[in-house]
Amino acid sequence: MKTTRFPSAAAPAAALAIASAVIFTGCSAGESAAPEQTDSGGKITVWVDPPRVPAAEAFQEAYPDIEIDVVQIDGTVGGTTVKQAFANFDAAGSGWPDAIFFPSNDDIAWATSSSSDYAADLTDLLPEVIEGYDPAVLSFCDFDGRIRCLRNDAAPDVFWYNKAFFDENGYTVPTTWEEYGDLAVEITAEHPDKISGFLGDAYGINRYLQAAGCPTNDRVSESEAHIDLSDPACERATELLATMYDGGALSTQGIFDGDAAAAGVNLVMSPGAVWWGNYLFRDTWKIPAGEMSAVAPLTWEGESSPSAGNEGGGLWGVSSHITGTQLENALTFATFVNTDPRWQVELSTGLPGYGPIQDAWLENLEAEGYFADIPGVQSAFKAAAGAVEPYSYMLYDTGSVWTETVSPTLISGGSMQDAIDAFGEELVNQAQSVGYTVQ
Amino acid sequence: MTTATVKDERTTQQPAPGSRRDAAKRKAPHRAETRGAYVLLAPYILLFLVAAAIPIGYAFWISMQKAPTLVNPETGFGGFDSFITVVTDYRFFATFVNIFTVMIIWLPIMIFGVVGMALLIHASPGRFGGAMRFVYYIPGALAGIANFVLWVYLLNPAQSPIAFLWLDLGMTNLKEVVTTQNLPLILTAMLFFQGLGTWIVIVNGGLNGIPDEIYEAAALDGANAWQLAWRVKLPLIRPWIGYTALMNLAYGFQLFLEPYLMRQISAGSIDSEWAPTQLGYAFAFTNRNFPAAAAMSIILLVITLAIGMVIVFRSGLFGEAKERAR
Repeated sequence: MKTTRFPSAAAPAAALAIASAVIFTGCSAGESAAPEQTDSGGKITVWVDPPRVPAAEAFQEAYPDIEIDVVQIDGTVGGTTVKQAFANFDAAGSGWPDAIFFPSNDDIAWATSSSSDYAADLTDLLPEVIEGYDPAVLSFCDFDGRIRCLRNDAAPDVFWYNKAFFDENGYTVPTTWEEYGDLAVEITAEHPDKISGFLGDAYGINRYLQAAGCPTNDRVSESEAHIDLSDPACERATELLATMYDGGALSTQGIFDGDAAAAGVNLVMSPGAVWWGNYLFRDTWKIPAGEMSAVAPLTWEGESSPSAGNEGGGLWGVSSHITGTQLENALTFATFVNTDPRWQVELSTGLPGYGPIQDAWLENLEAEGYFADIPGVQSAFKAAAGAVEPYSYMLYDTGSVWTETVSPTLISGGSMQDAIDAFGEELVNQAQSVGYTVQ
Repeated sequence: MTTATVKDERTTQQPAPGSRRDAAKRKAPHRAETRGAYVLLAPYILLFLVAAAIPIGYAFWISMQKAPTLVNPETGFGGFDSFITVVTDYRFFATFVNIFTVMIIWLPIMIFGVVGMALLIHASPGRFGGAMRFVYYIPGALAGIANFVLWVYLLNPAQSPIAFLWLDLGMTNLKEVVTTQNLPLILTAMLFFQGLGTWIVIVNGGLNGIPDEIYEAAALDGANAWQLAWRVKLPLIRPWIGYTALMNLAYGFQLFLEPYLMRQISAGSIDSEWAPTQLGYAFAFTNRNFPAAAAMSIILLVITLAIGMVIVFRSGLFGEAKERAR
């Protein structure tokens, strides 16, 4: 984690220090007359977060002729350093990278807004690549029918459970959300140290509210958002969470918390993204091999098809400010990091977003042999993408609002209903503050 | 801010007996002296212009621009609209309540702590006093980030040497300790230990500047150690106390780093716009509203300047008291 200390000059606040940097570029803040597209003659600059550095290195190896500058950026999800740099680039009218891996998926919202318009429209630039994606996987990049980014990995939620624990105690894996809630309470009553979910991370919103189809991130147009926490879909999610929380089955910690591993080894089941398997269970919480397994997402009672959230699944963007050879090389880079097995299959930890190479990646699971039921996990992964409920990345940071309101409210003694109410109120406030009309 | 004013006409005022310094000051200075004064002032004036006056003027100009919105990124002259945007923001008053809560808890503890410790050290003669001064300085010698990391360990029930304290309070993990409600107390503790040593050294410098004759006179009048501290030393170091209060207040108002990092270590359970400076930052980089960010910094400037003025004039920071203490 990189942080820089702000110069604590006299009273002008930190923002002013940065704002005054803008003056010397001779541009007034907020001016966004689209600058001319430029061509460097071939050299490109790409920004990647630490886990994506191997992708850029693999590209350098594959295309030694293309001159490339790789800049490693702060990869904190919900971080502001990249957002800050781009606000300055947009004000100055220069300085953008030619391609970028966005540290947070929410970044695509400002990158496609009319005040920045950084992300190039790839619809006509890379039609063959776009063809290879399941539209559900690429829906997050679809803005008013134009594809503005490409997905590094698909991150739909599946339903994870500890198969060894279930077999040992004779529990049946739930198939509906309601069964999951009741079983969670039952397990905690019989095994007080076991838990069935985490609430305190930025993806909690996706795991439960998005999976219920609750309109928190419903983009009506560029300046209108539909937020309604009293929608029946939100109420069923709130009820489910209240049942589990009151039964002691939910942790207020988040999956990324430094001290969450102690609770993590006691997780017996939970909806969670496909990358939980390798990243959380195997590498972070060190759960032994042969225990965890996944099944397809759960279904809400009274519905015929399963519903799931989506947790991350990184986005690559290409600059709209370049043309000619520089643009060609940036597109070559974007194509490589999204579709080439040399990165996606051999090195990447997440399920590729690009369809044609998913099977090759899934085959790797057999060689690794970590999961309890590998064929089951493979089919769950494949089935999950189509179950993801619609969700748009907005200029307000839903995940941050969630972490600031839900767990803190519960920790200070509030009920689950209080927590969701606090979340809804803050979300509407944030949305209006950023400039949305909330319906 | 003080600026040297130079009088041209001779003063006809008779100096009061026993105040030779005043007389010297009121004498018309020679031309060379005037020039010298300007030469000596020049670097300060230059830095003041570059680092304060011009940025403030620029910020004011920016704050008068029309804020671009999502759908209409046009700019122009907007008058005081941005100030209205800032003041009517739903977080504006909350951030000031937060920062004042910290100030009300932290500043008195800081001032009492610093002055009390400095007086105790000053009253401890010889090697012991010197040794203690060094011991107190140690936490202050930790740079900001190191101090912060130390506190991250102290606050985490999983690692802390004072974990029993957290567990007794029913807090089992970091998220339960680092909450928005607890933040004022956590910041108070952090800032106190970080600043204590440095400020003891500064106030002690003021105490060392008191001439021995005064102590002799007090001893002749029969003052005991307590009276010496309370009635003699304390009034004489008032400017130093004022300076301590002023600088800490200015620092406190600009708190940014601590709440920002606290949010990071608590994995997002602290409000992201907890302090006014963070709200200004959010205006600039979340809302892309530079005029509002500039307006926020102007508002902060006015408030800190006003409070600073009060402290300067109440404590005689730049007044005669300083001269007397020399």
